[in-house]
Amino acid sequence: MKLDINSYNTDAPITWCPGCGNFNIHIALKQALVELKKIPSEVMMSFDIGCNGNGGDKIDGFRVKGLHGRAIPFAVGAHIANRNMTVIADIGDGGCLHEGIDHLIHGIRSNYNITVLIHNNQNFALTTGQITSTTQRGKRMYGFPNGKTEDDINIGELVLSLNPTFYAKGYSGDPQGLVDIIKEGIKHKGFSVIEIMQICPTYNPESNMAFFNEKIKKIEKCTDINKARRYVLDKERIYTGVIYQNKKRREYYSLLKNRKNRKSELVDEVKGYNISNILSKLE
Amino acid sequence: MDKRFAIKFSGQSGQGINTLGKLLSNAIKNSEYPIFATREYPSLIKGGFASYQIDVSSTQIFSSSKQCNILTSIAKDALNQYIGLVSKDGLILHSVKDFKLNAEDKEYILKNNIKYLFIDTEKIAQESNSPTIMANIVMLGAIWKVIGLDFKVLERVIRKYFSTKKNIDIEAEVRCLKAGYNLELIKDIKIETFPTTKIKGWKKSKILTGNDALALGAISAGCRAYYAYPMTPATSILETLGNTYMETGLIVKQAESEITAVQFAMGSMYMGTRAFTATSGGGFDLMTETISCCGMTETPLVIVLGQRAGSGTGVPTWSGSSDLEVSLKGGHGEFPRCILATSDSEDSYELIQDAFNIAEQYQIPVIVLSEKQIAESLFNIKTLPKPKKILRGLSNNGIERYKITKSGVSQRWIPQKGKKTYLVNSDEHTQDGISTEDSKEITAMSSKRLRKLNTLLKNIPSPEYYGAVKPDIVFVGMGSTKNAVIDAMKILNANIGYLHYKYIYPLRFERILQIHDKGTKIVLIENNQNGELGKLIREQSGLYIQDKLFKFDGRPFFVEDILEYLKK
Repeated sequence: MKLDINSYNTDAPITWCPGCGNFNIHIALKQALVELKKIPSEVMMSFDIGCNGNGGDKIDGFRVKGLHGRAIPFAVGAHIANRNMTVIADIGDGGCLHEGIDHLIHGIRSNYNITVLIHNNQNFALTTGQITSTTQRGKRMYGFPNGKTEDDINIGELVLSLNPTFYAKGYSGDPQGLVDIIKEGIKHKGFSVIEIMQICPTYNPESNMAFFNEKIKKIEKCTDINKARRYVLDKERIYTGVIYQNKKRREYYSLLKNRKNRKSELVDEVKGYNISNILSKLE
Repeated sequence: MDKRFAIKFSGQSGQGINTLGKLLSNAIKNSEYPIFATREYPSLIKGGFASYQIDVSSTQIFSSSKQCNILTSIAKDALNQYIGLVSKDGLILHSVKDFKLNAEDKEYILKNNIKYLFIDTEKIAQESNSPTIMANIVMLGAIWKVIGLDFKVLERVIRKYFSTKKNIDIEAEVRCLKAGYNLELIKDIKIETFPTTKIKGWKKSKILTGNDALALGAISAGCRAYYAYPMTPATSILETLGNTYMETGLIVKQAESEITAVQFAMGSMYMGTRAFTATSGGGFDLMTETISCCGMTETPLVIVLGQRAGSGTGVPTWSGSSDLEVSLKGGHGEFPRCILATSDSEDSYELIQDAFNIAEQYQIPVIVLSEKQIAESLFNIKTLPKPKKILRGLSNNGIERYKITKSGVSQRWIPQKGKKTYLVNSDEHTQDGISTEDSKEITAMSSKRLRKLNTLLKNIPSPEYYGAVKPDIVFVGMGSTKNAVIDAMKILNANIGYLHYKYIYPLRFERILQIHDKGTKIVLIENNQNGELGKLIREQSGLYIQDKLFKFDGRPFFVEDILEYLKK
C-alpha cells in the first residue's frame, strides 16, 4: 500500500472548532511522518488531555490518551522500552507548563530521544478558556473578568535556559514550515521540543492570522545559543524555524554504560534470568 | 522449645552500626546458626539512637525479640534507650565514657542480675597501634568472645569485608578485633543461653533483605526497567538493582518524582516490556491517578508499596502496615486491581513474579505491599525458591484492543511495526478505543473491566494455614505478623494456628468461614490501628472478627507480644 497522508487518516468525527489550529498541526504531523517514510505502526504518540488530546483518534498510529500533564513521562517510558518506535509526546501549553512542567524540565536535562509537540494556544481551551501561563497578562479570561494577574512564561526562554539539544518554533498557520521542523525534530537524536503557536479562534481571537503574519519571521537553523536567546527574547518579532540545535550532547540511552554493546530492545528481553550469580554474593 | 538469643548493637545514626551489625550477622551465620536481623534508626544522618538487633536460634527464625541478651552501646542516647530491654541474666557492654546510670536503670540491672561493663575501646584501639576510628571493632571482638564462637570465622568475615574497601589497614582492624576478643575484663563472662545446636552446612545459606528479594524476583521475572524516587523503606531496591545492573542490563532510573516514576513504568509496560516502581505511602498517594488510568486503559502496572508507620510523613524509618486501605481504594472511579502482601524474603521473591504475571495476564494494576520490617530486615534462608513461570497473556496481533469478552480480558498485543495499531484511551471508550459517552457502551465497558476481578479470583490461591490441626485459637493476619506468630508457636506448645493472607485482593474467604463455622476462636492480628484486613474480610465475607490484637507504635510484632497475648 502506498504511504501518503491518507495512510494516517482515521474516520473519527471532527470535534474541533472551525478554524482551530489543530487541523493544520495534524496535517503537518501526518505529512512529516509520510516524508520520513514512517508507517503508522512504527509511530507511538502520547497525547495529553485538552483539545490537542482530542486529536488522539484523528491520526493513525499506536496512540495513548493518558493523564493531564503526563504525556512526556509516558512517552519516555515507552521510548526506553523500544527505540525502534518513533515516539512523540503531544501536549498543550496547559498540560506542559502547568500540571507537568517538571517533566519538560527533566526531559530536556535528561535528553531522551523523543519529540515533544507543545500546542501553545495560550489558554485551557477544552475546559472553555481558562488562564495558562502563556495567556497574555491582563487578558480577561474565564472566572477573571478583570484579567490575568500573574506574569507569563516564555517557553523559548525557559527551554533555552536548560541547555536543550533541540528547540524549534512553528505556527499552525504555516503548515509547510511545521512539516519541516517536525521532520527535523524527529530526526534529531535527543529531546526535541517543538513549540507550535496555535490559533484558537474561540478563546484567543486576538492572536489571529493577521497578528501572526505581521510578527513572524522565518529563520535558518541556528546552532548558536546566544543568538537563539536573542530570537526568543525579541518583543517585536516572533521567529520560527529551528531556533537552536546542539548535536554534540548525546541522548540519554546512548550514555547508559550497562546498555553498551547490547543490541536488543527491552521489549525483546522479557524472559527468565538466572540470578544464581547475584545470589551467590549474598552468602 | 526453641531457644532464641538476641544481640543488640546500638549507637548513634552515622556511627557505622549498620556495617557492624551486618558483619556480626554474617559471622554468626557462617558459624552455622540461623539469624534474623533488624535495624532501628532515626530519620536523620547523624545522632539520635540506632540499633541493629541480631536474633539467633538453632532453627530458622523470621522475627525479632523485644528483649536482648547482650546489649552493646557506643553512644549515650542509645544506652539510655535500650537498657530496659536487656533480658534477665543478660549483659551490657558499652564504651560511653563517664556514663552515669540513673536510679531506675541501676535498680533494673540489679534486679535482673544483668552484668554491666564499660570497655574503653578507644584506649584499647590505641594500645593496639590502631586509629581510634576502629574502636568499634574492639566491641565486635568482645561480643564474639562472650558468645563463645570460633575467632577465625569472624576474622575471615572482617578481612573479606575490608578487602573491598580502599585505604583501609586491614591488619589494624584485625588487631582491634583480637584485642577485644582477648580482653581481660570479659574473659570469664559466659552467657549460657546462646544456642548450642548448629545446622550443618548453614554457612552456605543466604542473607537477604525483603527488598533484595523483591529486586531479585523482578530480575527473575524478566523485568527490564526500574524507575523510582527515593523513599524509605522502598529505597534500597534501587541500590540492589543498581549494584547489579552491569550484569543484568536492567535500566535503572531515578525519576524526578513518584508521578514520573509510575508514568515511566506505565509507558514501558504499555510498550511491552516489564518494568516497575516502588515507593512508600506518600509517594503512593501521588501515583494513584496513574493507577486509576491503568485500570481504565487496561495497562499492566506493578507497584511495590513499602509501608512505614503513620499518615503524613509519619515515622519515616519505622514499621507498620496501615496502607492496605489506600492500596485498595487509592485512585478514582471503579476498576479492577490486585493486592499482594509480602511477609519475608522468600515470598517477596515469589510475589513480585506473581505480580508481573497477574498484571500482564489481566491487564490491571497490581500493588505489592511490603513493610519496613520486611523490606530492610535480614532474612537468613537456605536459598530462594525456583523462579516462577513467566505468563504474559500476550497475543501476536489483534483487531479490537478492548473487545468485550466473557472473562473481561481482551487481547493485548505489543505496539510494533506491522501490527494493527490501536488507541489506548483513558476516556471511556468503545471496543476499538474511541472515546464514547453512550450510556449502553459505558455500562458494557465498565462491566467488562470489573469482570476481570471475578476471573482473577478463580485463580487466586487461598490464604495459607500454619499450626495446630485442631486449634483453640486461630490468628488471622497479613505481612510480617506471620513471622512473630509462627516464631511464637515454636516457643510455645500451644494449640494455636495462623491463617496468613498474602493474596489479599480479590479476597478468598472460604477458609476463614470454615474455621469460624467450627466454632474456633479467631483473633485478628494487625500492625495498624483500624484492622484494615479485618475490614476487608468483613466487607467481602460478612464475617466480623471480634477479637483483635493491634499494634501501631512504629514497631513490628515481637515474639513476646504474641506470648503475652496468649498468657492472658
